Amino acid sequence: MATITHEEAHAHTHGPELQHQFETPEQQKEAATLGMWAFLVTEIMLFGGIFMAYIAYRWAFPEAWEESAALLNTPLATVNTVVLLVSSLTVALAVNAAEEGRKRRLITMLVLTIVLGVTFLVIKGYEYSEKFAHCAGAKDPISWITGSDLHESHECLVPGRGFMFPDEHGSTSGGHGAAKTATQSGHQLFFLLYFSATGLHAIHMIIGLGVMTTILVMALRDRFSPTYFTPVEIGGLYWHLIDIIWVFLFPLFYLV
Amino acid sequence: MAEQHAHAHAHHHGEKHTHISRGTYYRVFAALMVLMVLTVAAWWVEKNLLEIPGWLAVTIAMSIAIAKTVLIVLYFMHVKISSRMTQVYAAGAFVWLIILFVITMGDYVARGWPPQAGPLP
Repeated sequence: MATITHEEAHAHTHGPELQHQFETPEQQKEAATLGMWAFLVTEIMLFGGIFMAYIAYRWAFPEAWEESAALLNTPLATVNTVVLLVSSLTVALAVNAAEEGRKRRLITMLVLTIVLGVTFLVIKGYEYSEKFAHCAGAKDPISWITGSDLHESHECLVPGRGFMFPDEHGSTSGGHGAAKTATQSGHQLFFLLYFSATGLHAIHMIIGLGVMTTILVMALRDRFSPTYFTPVEIGGLYWHLIDIIWVFLFPLFYLV
Repeated sequence: MAEQHAHAHAHHHGEKHTHISRGTYYRVFAALMVLMVLTVAAWWVEKNLLEIPGWLAVTIAMSIAIAKTVLIVLYFMHVKISSRMTQVYAAGAFVWLIILFVITMGDYVARGWPPQAGPLP
């Protein structure tokens, strides 16, 4: 061991993290990355089912889609898109820091990622509570919590028995009952898909935050080195996938 | 052991770069922000300034989303510098997705979608 040069030592020595079934750390990292990608493919297919339903029903109800999307909070969603894109950058920089063995930078980037992830969920949670507050007859979530200014609700965009799409034309009676029901179901389908897709995405964000917190704890315990940082790398892959899903959800639901 | 070392060494200095610089990450991020502004701007223009057909608006929005995805997958997810096997897996996901969409929608449209409004609501 004493005769090998510094560069060789850097490339070939390995810690206890090399499992016995692998010959080299590179091979182990390659297997982990490939395994993560296999999982990500199943995730893409999971969301693919929702996107499939989206395509079929947007094809059938283009007007209902346009009218419904106008009732979503696009400014907040735009802020959320920026938040997620920045968090993807901080994750990429975290992997870079781990690769270069800069522990302090790695921890900073992981903490930033977690803060941005929580920010995303808080904004998303506010958007959801707006919709639920409207069903309860409140103007906004704050008056819903305080119980002030409650009245008969004129809009309820949460799918279910109480679903009520605001009527722009003013007339609800008349012989257009069947037509109205048809468009109502289009509107309700939009919001059903909206809550399913963004809800499933939010669940992935919560899991992603758990992953990032675990990696942060591992980093604090000095578990990573320039030769071993696979958890940072594949945890980062998961986070980027969540970002990609949002990259599609944003224009499909908010920018119709 | 010598063989293994030689193999690892060759792998490390192979044809591919095994490192993406921080500068690249910042440039990719800047491009992502530009694309994000573009997609919102396109939507605003289409809602407030000029009427364009729905299919064109969807095509513009989806093209921008796909461009963002390609940037994230290649650079942030390191597929550009990954092994060929990983690249095949990553590409495979999107191939399966296209199969799902094309065959399902092909079937829907061939059977007459959207359906005619029937007597029942």
